Amino acid sequence: MSRPPVPADIPPDLYGRDRPDRLMRFLDRAARALVPVLARSAGAVPPPRPAPAPRRFLVSAREEAADDVVALTLTAADGSPLRRWQPGAHVDLCLPSGRVRQYSLCGDPADTGAYRIAVRRVRGGGGGSTEVHEDLAPGTPVGVRGPRNAFPFVAEGPVLLVAGGIGITPLLPMAREAARRGLDWHLVHTGRTRSSMPFSNRLADRFPDRVEILPDDEGGVRGAVRLLRGAAPGGAVYCCGPAPMLDALREAFESCPAAALHTERFTAPPIRDGRPFTLRLRRSGTTLAVPADRSALDVLRAHDPATPYSCRQGFCGVCTVRVTDGTIDHRDRRPGERTPGAMRVCVSRAPEGACLELDL
Amino acid sequence: MSHDTHDDLVLHPRDVRFDWGRLPMHWVPGRPTATHVINVLHLLLPEGERWFVRTFQEALPLVRDEELKEAVLGFTGQEAMHAEAHQGVLDHLLAAGLDPAPYIRQVEFVFRRVLGERPQPTAARAREHVVERVAVIAAVEHFTAFLGDWVLNAEALDRAGADPTMLDLLRWHGAEEVEHRSVAFDLLRHLDPGYARRLRTFLIGGPVLVHLWIRGVRFLMAADPALPPGAGPTWRAYREAAREGLLPGLGRMARFAVRYLRPGYHPSQDGSTAQAVAYLAASPAARAADH
Repeated sequence: MSRPPVPADIPPDLYGRDRPDRLMRFLDRAARALVPVLARSAGAVPPPRPAPAPRRFLVSAREEAADDVVALTLTAADGSPLRRWQPGAHVDLCLPSGRVRQYSLCGDPADTGAYRIAVRRVRGGGGGSTEVHEDLAPGTPVGVRGPRNAFPFVAEGPVLLVAGGIGITPLLPMAREAARRGLDWHLVHTGRTRSSMPFSNRLADRFPDRVEILPDDEGGVRGAVRLLRGAAPGGAVYCCGPAPMLDALREAFESCPAAALHTERFTAPPIRDGRPFTLRLRRSGTTLAVPADRSALDVLRAHDPATPYSCRQGFCGVCTVRVTDGTIDHRDRRPGERTPGAMRVCVSRAPEGACLELDL
Repeated sequence: MSHDTHDDLVLHPRDVRFDWGRLPMHWVPGRPTATHVINVLHLLLPEGERWFVRTFQEALPLVRDEELKEAVLGFTGQEAMHAEAHQGVLDHLLAAGLDPAPYIRQVEFVFRRVLGERPQPTAARAREHVVERVAVIAAVEHFTAFLGDWVLNAEALDRAGADPTMLDLLRWHGAEEVEHRSVAFDLLRHLDPGYARRLRTFLIGGPVLVHLWIRGVRFLMAADPALPPGAGPTWRAYREAAREGLLPGLGRMARFAVRYLRPGYHPSQDGSTAQAVAYLAASPAARAADH
């Protein structure tokens, strides 16, 4: 975030008396006197710790959970107990190739011996799911960071869980938790075909009155209004599935009697129509190339891990950097709040081949 | 208030927008004191929270823990959105005939100069100056976590017919304060595990904040075109509003404040993340932000 100018003078009195404000003058003097003293009283500076490596895990079991879906059981390489987690949590899976992918935990949170994840093979994707499907045999070492939770479950009823395809994974522990707590819960699972939809058959066997399986090839594609039919007045709805399904559910939710809609957060949207350009850092003279498929922020972070950012969607503005030369291709969501002569590096770019000089 | 277990939450800002076109001057109807005590937030927060963001960004290179760094980044985005949202109310107050400029000039002075970056002779001192200001933020966050929890539960405001858009702003903000209530404290402990700095920043910062707040209420009531000249806040009016649940009780606030000084204190011991998460899933502004 860019720095505003520092006021040079003590501001005037609040009520228009013609003198500098006394409290402000006092605070200014106090700070001037105290800061050098307090900055001197340094405690021991803790030694820098190296960035922690992901924890080492092994694939201890693998099964086909549905067409093109493989379920993996992961245990710590040293056999030690795992960090506890809450329904909705995910882990970063660090693959042997160096790719890192996030997967929801679909096992039992009370099981501190193993994590379970399920991965659908995405053809033509970034290759992460293909690597999981083709290379992760039992015994393969992988890295794991987390678990972390971007989809927290508030165990208060009534609850409707709506899953699209592989989106069932974070909802499974929620269903179990709801059952354990005796909540009024229901789960609706849609997908292309029954054989492509993992896990819900087993859940339906246990809870035939609570689980509804709705494959497209058995009765057609269900609309969002149909999926939300079981939402109870004042209740909560949790959704996980493909983006178009979530958009439709958000829209239909406004006319449904439930009170709260929970969806998982995905931060960085894909870069559309990106062209390569370069960044020049004014203070160090460094030049960095930004490829078409990466953001300026990605490149700056690789250069300096302490680069600030937050939303990665161009609205919060904390990644704003002053631009001292070059043409900015602004792509942020709040044009009215743009700082003149600055860019939000998480989304904004430059024309193809152009160079932007940043005040860094 | 209960201890809860959502301690691995991924923090992220929400792209909220509010429309103040129909906000009445006294948005708690007929209660200027309650309205303006809460309105001080709009005076202090835009500058204050931008200062939080700048200070945490100064602290980022000192953080040696990836998860904490992620939490700090999520925190800064949330604070930046809070600042913009409260700025919107400020702009509306001006349009409605209440000019906040004299107070705002002072708030800018406090956060840009008194508490701003100051050149230090050595790198070690520069680091200490950053940590000192992180400690101030941790103390303020103790207070905002209290207010967040309070406003999420302040049903009296609904009963009093308070403006629903303002309530949504306060509760969205309050819920995010509850969500991220441990971040500043964890950052402080990471940079300085000692007790002395926690104590002194609380003892200096607490009274200054309370004093700025009282000045703010006095200023707003004097500048409010809908009030007769000479109108001002009284402790009696505050206590009456607090008794009805329209403002937090002074005794409760004082008891909560000193909890910060217990050696074994951690922010996760107070407030409910589950309640915050539930509100954010129901908040009209937060829900619209996802579209």
